Amino acid sequence: MNNTISPEKTSWMLVSPLAFILGLFLVLPILIIIMVSFWDYNEYNFFPAFISENYDYLLTSKVTLDTYLKTFKFMILVWFFCTFIGFTVAYFLAFHVRTLPMQIALFLLCTIPFWTSNIIRMISWIPFLGRNGIANSTLISAGIIDQPLEWLLFSDFAVVLAFVHLFSLFMVVPVFNTMMRIDKSLIEAARDAGASGFQILTNVIIPLSKPGIMIGSIFVVTLVMGDFITVRFMSGGQSTSVGRVISNEIGLLQYPAAAASAVVLLITVLIMITIMMRFVDIRKEL
Amino acid sequence: MEPRSRSFYVLVVFFGLFVLFLYGPIFTIGVLSFQGPNGGLTFPMNGVSTYWFHDLFEQQAVGDIWGSLRRSFVLGLMVMVITLVVSVMGGLAFRNKFRGSSVLFYLVIISLTIPSILVSLGVGLIFNIVDLEVHWTTSGLGSQLTWTLPFGLLIMFAVFNRFDKSYEEAARDLGATPWQTVRHVVLPIIAPSLIGVALFGFTLSYDEFARTLLTAGSDNTLPLEIFGMTTNVTSPVLYALGTLTTVFSFFVIGTFLLIAVLLRRRQTGAGTDAGKGMV
Amino acid sequence: MTKENNKVTVSRRSVLKGAAATTGAALGAGALGGFPTIWAQNIKNVTLRQFGTGVSNLNDVATKVKEDLGFTLKMTALDSDSVAQRAATQPKSFDIADIEYWICKKVWGAGNLQAMDTSKIKNYDKIAGTFRSGKLTPESEIAQGTAPHTVGFVEGPGSKKFADNESGWMTLIPTIYNADTLGIRPDLIKRPITSWTELLNPEFKGKASILDIPSIGIMDAAMVVEAMGEITYGDKGNMTKEEIDKTIAIFIEAKKAGQFRAFWKTFDESINLMASGEVVIQSMWSPAITAVRSKGIPCVYQPLKEGYRSWGGGLGLSANLSGLELEAAYEYINWYLSGWVGGYLMRQGYYSAVPETSKKFMTEDEWGYWFEGKAAKGEIKTPTGKVLEKAGAVRDGGSFYERMGAVACWNSVMDENKHMVRKWNELIAA
Repeated sequence: MNNTISPEKTSWMLVSPLAFILGLFLVLPILIIIMVSFWDYNEYNFFPAFISENYDYLLTSKVTLDTYLKTFKFMILVWFFCTFIGFTVAYFLAFHVRTLPMQIALFLLCTIPFWTSNIIRMISWIPFLGRNGIANSTLISAGIIDQPLEWLLFSDFAVVLAFVHLFSLFMVVPVFNTMMRIDKSLIEAARDAGASGFQILTNVIIPLSKPGIMIGSIFVVTLVMGDFITVRFMSGGQSTSVGRVISNEIGLLQYPAAAASAVVLLITVLIMITIMMRFVDIRKEL
Repeated sequence: MEPRSRSFYVLVVFFGLFVLFLYGPIFTIGVLSFQGPNGGLTFPMNGVSTYWFHDLFEQQAVGDIWGSLRRSFVLGLMVMVITLVVSVMGGLAFRNKFRGSSVLFYLVIISLTIPSILVSLGVGLIFNIVDLEVHWTTSGLGSQLTWTLPFGLLIMFAVFNRFDKSYEEAARDLGATPWQTVRHVVLPIIAPSLIGVALFGFTLSYDEFARTLLTAGSDNTLPLEIFGMTTNVTSPVLYALGTLTTVFSFFVIGTFLLIAVLLRRRQTGAGTDAGKGMV
Repeated sequence: MTKENNKVTVSRRSVLKGAAATTGAALGAGALGGFPTIWAQNIKNVTLRQFGTGVSNLNDVATKVKEDLGFTLKMTALDSDSVAQRAATQPKSFDIADIEYWICKKVWGAGNLQAMDTSKIKNYDKIAGTFRSGKLTPESEIAQGTAPHTVGFVEGPGSKKFADNESGWMTLIPTIYNADTLGIRPDLIKRPITSWTELLNPEFKGKASILDIPSIGIMDAAMVVEAMGEITYGDKGNMTKEEIDKTIAIFIEAKKAGQFRAFWKTFDESINLMASGEVVIQSMWSPAITAVRSKGIPCVYQPLKEGYRSWGGGLGLSANLSGLELEAAYEYINWYLSGWVGGYLMRQGYYSAVPETSKKFMTEDEWGYWFEGKAAKGEIKTPTGKVLEKAGAVRDGGSFYERMGAVACWNSVMDENKHMVRKWNELIAA
């Protein structure tokens, strides 16, 4: 190896495969989507043109507004539950489980369900929540209710439940990671200074876990914003989301319309991510 | 050892409920996969049998489960290897500041956060416009890499954040070339974390759906096949597959764990504790 | 199909293409007079890639093709959106497209399919009249919508213009078709259902469902709205903007009132909704009824006084097919119409395009039950051998002529398609 290569050149060489792959399969596709969003289409084809009709309709339609409001509603609810669950679980693993092997074992226990296909895990909620499903029959036989609860399935409740089920691990992992880096002596110091367990939690652990929570939030928010299949399955096709609109447009061969929706969605997501990134320096906090 | 506080037990219960929540559907799947031959995808059970497990290994009325499983497995391995190599290279590169590093870093973040269906759409459009045939080993592979590489790279950031540079300096002081330092000092120390990268790469690819949707071409990967099955196969064979997948996952994770333990043991023998604390 | 097989296939295909190019025109000319013996061996090496919905892309068919014809047929089953998508945008990914007529209307213009020479179709004359003149029997009236014969022919090879007569150049060779209506759970409804209006009857609040494929869903919606007397459509298959707006408005109102339990998009969802009792009345497809019943759950494909909404599917040839592969494709189509597949599909509740050839592949009792609408003499079984009906059962809706004779409209694509899809999205978002 020749020592005269500058560190910068070495770095460039090392990142070139990464840059190549992202250039080809990320940057180029985004540029194409932007380009196609101005194209025109008919029933079976799309062709070069420069029209703003796709955006005109998108930005003035009431459906777009409703869809975004609905998607935001899902996002906020899912984020709230994922954060609460993710933080609590990570807190338990990081501070209450005492040995590393036990921590790893319990952590892996949480990850195993994620190996079964998302789609299978999602549709398996249906027999559980259905009108004659396990949940309803258990509640009825326990005498808690006498009519099956209709809102358990094919409802916004079902959508949020499935999302939380699918994505909570994306919060657990980064929060757990951050918590493992908290210097235990800080907690000892706080305790010695007379802080209660609750005070330690709010004044030491939560502030120090913020980067992990932010990273987890970025995952959860983007996953929910881009989803198109959970909403369809769990709402019984009765609810909509931005991703679902795009996937429907693709399904109906309206590629330029889908591209326009995609551009708007991308801008929305990037704005949200930019805001969230202001609170955390991902590179330092990992 | 201090005694457990009351909050500990509250948290144990919470954690237990969380695990139950995660495994609940898996459990439902497990039970329903033992449906009788006339049973459906929903309760009530229509007899108990292992019929659907046998059926899984027969030819289905439509589609090809085992072919798609094989494809997903091969694709997962391809993604795994590329992710591993490219992430390690990227991780090493990002240890130094270089011009363009922040642009590239933001690209990585965009790659991670862009809604998957956009990648699918964009790559599909490119192949369509330049009149290339989409195939899971080309367009499919590339689309999946936009998902796995950011994860791999972020894990490498985490690894190098915890990396004690004094080992490298020591090696350099002893006259090692940069390549020798990487090969004989850095790589062995970060090896256990590389298992994490590999595992992530494989898992994310194996379960990837949206990015492959418009880029897999005429042969389905397993998640696409499962999606296809939900559109026309009305049998608990889907659940039998889910149950087997879970059992298989326990097996694979066990294997990876074993490798990690063995590697760690070898390292402990060699007198280093680096890589500790990484999951 | 194993991966290893695929690899072999690919190399064989390319070799074959080379061979076809060198021998070229001579063979092509010879082909018109039947299959030269020199090909009998070669054809075994051909692989044709077919795609379509799970309805007819059955592995059993591929197995039988291998057995009877010797070449390999590779099936890919997709949902109906993906089917249209692939036919329109991925011409290289298939050799044979198994699509519906309304999809054909949409994608023919993309130029990815080639017209077929009817003189090479042996059973052409026996194909049901619906697909040729448009009339099932000489007295029949032609229903609204994209009736198959209107997009069944083009003016010549390479033409993109549909012909209004039997021009000799067919776009799709009809394979299966059926008359769709509402499916109901008689055990949960407990009273006779006779009209499409029942779908929006508040009695079934929270227990109704409609399918979420805009082009088909809008037709079911139109059947309901017309039956309610709210709108009399000029042509349900080609509505005006006002008609679309009003139809959707009525459905949005019903949706907001909680009429629907779900909107289903895939065949399988409709089965689960019905089997689990989530829904008691919904748009449904015939084999889905069959599937619910084979689980021992009562389910009726209710004939309604306003008639059926009908659909038909067929096989189209990729424009890329030529030489030996094209001949293999014709041979496959001739085999398809020769009865075995028809018999198989008719025992699932569809109709074959050439009913009389299918008869040979069904028992007399099966033919009586499925086609003639007679009471079953013994047990009626599915093609896979599951018992479906006991002796004495009669098919819902009766005979072939009763059912296909009462078609009110065909699945279609409207001129206002873009507008319709947007309004449909409003319904879903409402």
